[in-house]
Amino acid sequence: MAGVAAPLALHGRRSLAGMTALACVLLLLAVLASLLLGAGDVGPARALAVLLGAGDEEARFVVGSLRLPRTLIGIGVGLALAVSGALLQAVSRNPLAEPGLLGVSAGAAFAVGVALWLGASTATLRVAVGQLGALLGCAAVLSVVRLRGVGSDPVRLVLAGAALSALLASLTALLLLFDQRSADEIRFWVIGSLSGRRLEDLLAVLPSLALALGLTLWLARPLAALALGERVAAGLGHHPGRVRLLVVLAVALLVGAATAIAGPIAFVGLVVPFAARALAGPDIRRTLWLCLPLGPLMVLGADVAARLLVSPAEMPLGVLTALLGAPVLVAVVRARRLPTL
Amino acid sequence: MPRQPLFPPLMPSLRLLLGGASLVLALGAQAHSVETANGPVEVPESPERIVTLYEGALDAALATGRLPVAAVTTRGGDGVARYIESHLEAEHPGAELAIVGVVREINLEAVLAQRPDLILAAPQLSAEQYALLSRIAPTVVPEARPLAADNWEAEARLFGEALGQADAMEAAIAEVHERSAALAEALEEADGLGSANLIRWMPQGPMVMSERLFTSGLIAEAGLDLSDAGLVRDGVVHSDTLSLESLSRLDGDWLFLATLNEEGQEALDAARRSPAFARLPAVAADRVVPVDGQLWTSANGPLAALAILEELEAALLP
Amino acid sequence: METQRLRGQSVRWQSAAAGQDSQGDSQPPSGYWHLTAGRASLLLERRALAVNLLLLALLLAASAAYLMAGSIPVSASELIRALAGDGEVVTAFVIHDLRLPRLAAAWLTGAAFAVAGCLMQTLARNRLATPGIIGIDNGATAFAVASVVGLGVSLAPPAMALTGAATAAAITFGLASGGDTRGYRFIVAGIGIGAVFGAVTQLLLARVPIDTANAAYPWTVGTLNARSGSAVSVLALGLAVGLPLALALGRSLSLMRFSDAVAAGLGVRLRRRRAQVLSLSVLLTALAVAVAGPVGMVGLIGPEIARSLSSSRGVPLAASALAGALVMVLADLAGRVLLAPIELPVGIVTAIVGGPWLLWILLRPASRRLS
Repeated sequence: MAGVAAPLALHGRRSLAGMTALACVLLLLAVLASLLLGAGDVGPARALAVLLGAGDEEARFVVGSLRLPRTLIGIGVGLALAVSGALLQAVSRNPLAEPGLLGVSAGAAFAVGVALWLGASTATLRVAVGQLGALLGCAAVLSVVRLRGVGSDPVRLVLAGAALSALLASLTALLLLFDQRSADEIRFWVIGSLSGRRLEDLLAVLPSLALALGLTLWLARPLAALALGERVAAGLGHHPGRVRLLVVLAVALLVGAATAIAGPIAFVGLVVPFAARALAGPDIRRTLWLCLPLGPLMVLGADVAARLLVSPAEMPLGVLTALLGAPVLVAVVRARRLPTL
Repeated sequence: MPRQPLFPPLMPSLRLLLGGASLVLALGAQAHSVETANGPVEVPESPERIVTLYEGALDAALATGRLPVAAVTTRGGDGVARYIESHLEAEHPGAELAIVGVVREINLEAVLAQRPDLILAAPQLSAEQYALLSRIAPTVVPEARPLAADNWEAEARLFGEALGQADAMEAAIAEVHERSAALAEALEEADGLGSANLIRWMPQGPMVMSERLFTSGLIAEAGLDLSDAGLVRDGVVHSDTLSLESLSRLDGDWLFLATLNEEGQEALDAARRSPAFARLPAVAADRVVPVDGQLWTSANGPLAALAILEELEAALLP
Repeated sequence: METQRLRGQSVRWQSAAAGQDSQGDSQPPSGYWHLTAGRASLLLERRALAVNLLLLALLLAASAAYLMAGSIPVSASELIRALAGDGEVVTAFVIHDLRLPRLAAAWLTGAAFAVAGCLMQTLARNRLATPGIIGIDNGATAFAVASVVGLGVSLAPPAMALTGAATAAAITFGLASGGDTRGYRFIVAGIGIGAVFGAVTQLLLARVPIDTANAAYPWTVGTLNARSGSAVSVLALGLAVGLPLALALGRSLSLMRFSDAVAAGLGVRLRRRRAQVLSLSVLLTALAVAVAGPVGMVGLIGPEIARSLSSSRGVPLAASALAGALVMVLADLAGRVLLAPIELPVGIVTAIVGGPWLLWILLRPASRRLS
């Protein structure tokens, strides 16, 4: 893939701006679709009337109180997952480093299982628990990467993540054997979805999201330097160790926030940076830039599909993204040789 | 060569065939036959040591006044369901039920160690487990039926017959119908009748419980017009997690909100924070009833029916 | 089944004794016994032999304990009488109908999972690369759960598990086809497919009532409680064919641990061998999963024990099989007695034991041979 992307990267700023503009237009369309289409009785025409300032009370409620928050949450989640994927892949120089594949989802599910087991109620389970679990899962795999120095071997990293996921899944299963109540409730929690999330959930994680994005802006240049090698980066005045640590922190904040709102949603962090690299070349600064519109685009697109496929009920978003992501994963490994970044 | 059975009480019912290790039941003239999911099964006339591997069977056995020797745990605990516990305290003080596993993993050796002469199991029992259990003692498995509100009666009658307590079971079922009829009358007098929905609240949104559910049938019998608003597919216990946009279809006068823990009020508060929920007519009229999901959405049997009717009465007739 | 395996081992024992006798006839390399019978000759590595015998002895001891312990204790003398077709009715039932079939399932699934794991690990030169970790099990689980929750499929869960594992493997093979090294593509594609099947399983479980989800539970964790007898027979057949095949592939495998150029120079037809090794590994896993559900951790622990005991000369396939069976027997024994009367599924016990081990593998500095 790098071979294809390299010439594109030479096209310069204008083509990047053009691509970003195109992605933003598509994102706007996705936002519109997210506001107009839904599983309920309020069709596109009634919803459009609301957007134009008219519309009946029911439609105003559905669009304003249900679809708008959901759309905003989708944008936040997409942003967080895409950027975290791009960062993780840049710092590990591994195109397969994706939060979901690294055991973050399993970590979140395990944390929720423990919380339920300790007596929390799903209906009131707050975001912090999932966030904590996601952080732990992330930290576990990343520490493996650091300790073993296998981060740049794509297969080993992914295997480590899969092994960790298997381990956490077994521990969750152990809890569920004894606790039927948790067993009943966790079934619904381990599937990522944007349904039923409230704007307050987004507001609660907004500070950590903003902090992480700010951190990312600051990290883009050192990361680009790091891509040229540790010595080059050090020569340019960056501290590779410190940069890595900060990246891990940013990734944990982003993934934790996204998982806390929406539950585990796999593969967004793989698909979006993959597409962004294909379009904009391997430079992390350009990739990150393009991830900003593409991440929300994927999440919103999948979410609209999730609403329409099995209306009046909804398909869980996490299942849809897994279906979308697996082919991309295979495409990455089918590239002539396993690329390193 | 003389063989000494390990358990003397079982001695007349065990016979060794062909020198192998098969346990074969040789029932005397006092046996009778019941029609189960696995064909006719010979059961002893008055079983002494009953093991129930299904909450519905435990409920049915207790409803006829029989005390099983062992059962499986209920969800959310290492013992039996709360309503069963209180029944045991009231009717069989000091009784101890041995636990022979969890619903998910039945311990066959523990079942055998109880020396059962009758095993009552769930329709979901796997073929492999049936093959072994039926060699330990006659195992009665009800037919798996398509979901219907009166399935519990057929299951209870089968268990009653197997226990040799058909009459007592008829009386227990009749009591349920009398109680619900009385409640319907009382509700009508108090002008408390109306339409109703039964839901479970999940973080993603609500799940509507089918109108063909055991509990739904009871609520309907008590005079409330219970509906699942066409949101539940045929033969399924509850809808998928409902889109909040479809929530407005739950326009019943009463809303029963089942939770699987004791913090029903907490779940209700969580639900109230959702604007779509707050708009429902039952919520606006403050006619939301948090109920025990362990009892309301998963138990079944005559005792469970009485317990549900009692809660229903307490909630609707203050 | 058990007697068959016992017989196989006793042949090995005799040939070891024969090897000792014939030692004077030739000059084998140090650490080996040279065995001749007519024109056929065999080099036996002493340490491997000793390790296998040790594992076999442990396995037999564990099996005896397995048959004696439980909710109905059986003494040694009662056990011997029951095995001889004598003794009390209930004891005979416990031994012959409850414990022996379960023990046989433990031996067979443990051996199959471990050999499959050892094959794939050696191929990928990575001790984490086992069929369970890369998601073959997930395919089996998804299909078995679909069967239990009644998605209009008429096949029994074991057959569906087999179909699921085969489907996952076939898709993975299809996606990973083409010039490949070390099966890396296969591994990563497998993890991707596994993730999809995992999501499907979650979706299925979320859409059914809890009673049905409970019925599907054994297929999501792996258990030896009341397994299908026909699935066990099919697995026995598969092992009877697969184990000799795996041993026959052993030499190529040990050469494949070197770099591709060296292995090719030594006459290994790499591409074909890799396909054979992968197929065999997947086949054994699929058959074992159809019996016990996903107990993938054994595929990791078994070979690990075998490797830590064996010398570095060969690929310890036989030792892996024995160690896998041993782990399975001990884990199920623990699961049956630790929290009695509540049984822990064997998949959970292996995960609890294997989990810390896995973390240790992940965290410790670069390992000796495989990575």
